[in-house]
Amino acid sequence: MTTFREYRAAQLHGFVADRNVPALPTDAVRFQGERAGLVSRAVAAIIDVVLIFAAVLATIAALWMLSFIIDPTNTGNLTASVEAAADRQTRIPPAVAMVAYGYVLNVLYWTAFWALSGRTVGNLVMGLRVVNRKGAHPGWFLSLARALFCTIFPIGLIWVALSRRNKSVQDVVLRTNVIYDWVVGIPWLKQGDDAEDLRAERGGIGDEAHT
Amino acid sequence: MSSDAREYEVAEVVLVTRAAEPSAPDPVEAIREIFTSSVGLATYTATTMAALVGQTVTTAVNSALDRAVPMIADAVIDRLDLTDLVIDRVNLTRVVESTLDGMDLTQLVLDRVDIDAIVGAADIEAVIDRVPIIPIADYVIDEIDLPQIIRDSTTGVAGEALDSVRRQGVGADLLLAGIIDRVLLRRGRDLDAPGEPESLDRVSEEAKGADPREES
Repeated sequence: MTTFREYRAAQLHGFVADRNVPALPTDAVRFQGERAGLVSRAVAAIIDVVLIFAAVLATIAALWMLSFIIDPTNTGNLTASVEAAADRQTRIPPAVAMVAYGYVLNVLYWTAFWALSGRTVGNLVMGLRVVNRKGAHPGWFLSLARALFCTIFPIGLIWVALSRRNKSVQDVVLRTNVIYDWVVGIPWLKQGDDAEDLRAERGGIGDEAHT
Repeated sequence: MSSDAREYEVAEVVLVTRAAEPSAPDPVEAIREIFTSSVGLATYTATTMAALVGQTVTTAVNSALDRAVPMIADAVIDRLDLTDLVIDRVNLTRVVESTLDGMDLTQLVLDRVDIDAIVGAADIEAVIDRVPIIPIADYVIDEIDLPQIIRDSTTGVAGEALDSVRRQGVGADLLLAGIIDRVLLRRGRDLDAPGEPESLDRVSEEAKGADPREES
């Protein structure tokens, strides 16, 4: 235990009490901001894919139910083939279309969530965040590129285990990182210094406009 | 002794009385007696006189001194600056030091001083004004790890479960990385990424309205 005298002495030497960890277990502070490993990222990706899969199933169920309103005379059973759909012999879309829909949905989901908060639901559960090479949120274009790359080439994630810097193939190509960031609360509400910087930036732009 | 008593009991006492016959006066003896008596009387008178005189003189002198000495002393002291004299001639430091050495000042104060009265009369607010309250509060918060306490008291079972899942993820990451690094004969990994994690950001109420999308 430090005495108050020692504490004051440390303050005089420029020590600033670090109270910026309001909601984090103390032992977890150490590795915040480090690049995450394969297991966390794989689990996060699996959670995301399972969610997308559930969304696709829900869509099929919804379409099936809607079909009774749109096409009540259809007598077909649950055959998810293109032919059956073309012949109006089924009430559900062909499997190919649903898989394609799942891929598109996955890309849109990852793009939106990475661009907005750097996190998907899987990332949030596992305490991960995607950042660009400067450590900031990836922009929409970068998020879209990464989402496409990850959706088309998911096996690139395996490189995390082999890479010295815990980077997947996508991370290497797009210069992104996935870090541990166990934030608690609403992730896209930026806080503290960043907001001050933002205000200063706006003020600066305003001044330029006046001159 | 009882045997002696028994002997007395058996003894007989015989008293025989006869008329006294006065002797003839001796002239030498008479003269010597007169002389001795005269000398004794004279000695006694002289001694008594001497004592009386001595006492009278002593009383007179004493009363005279009682009257005279204060006057003389006053006159002398009036003509002297006693304070300067003491300061010049007396080593006051030594006197004070030896006095202080001789007494337990703390005990003296405890015995003789009403400390409660002094504290009661003191201007506590002036003291508090000089006390660095905020640094003390900071110090206490740091020492008891208040953020952790708040976290412990506010995060429920769900939060702990989430932490547990995340912790296991981190542990598994490290385990797998360790195994692969050992197989590839590598030593450690470079895990420092640029930027600051949001989890270490300062929480600020006024910043909650800010939208990071406008930043990028």
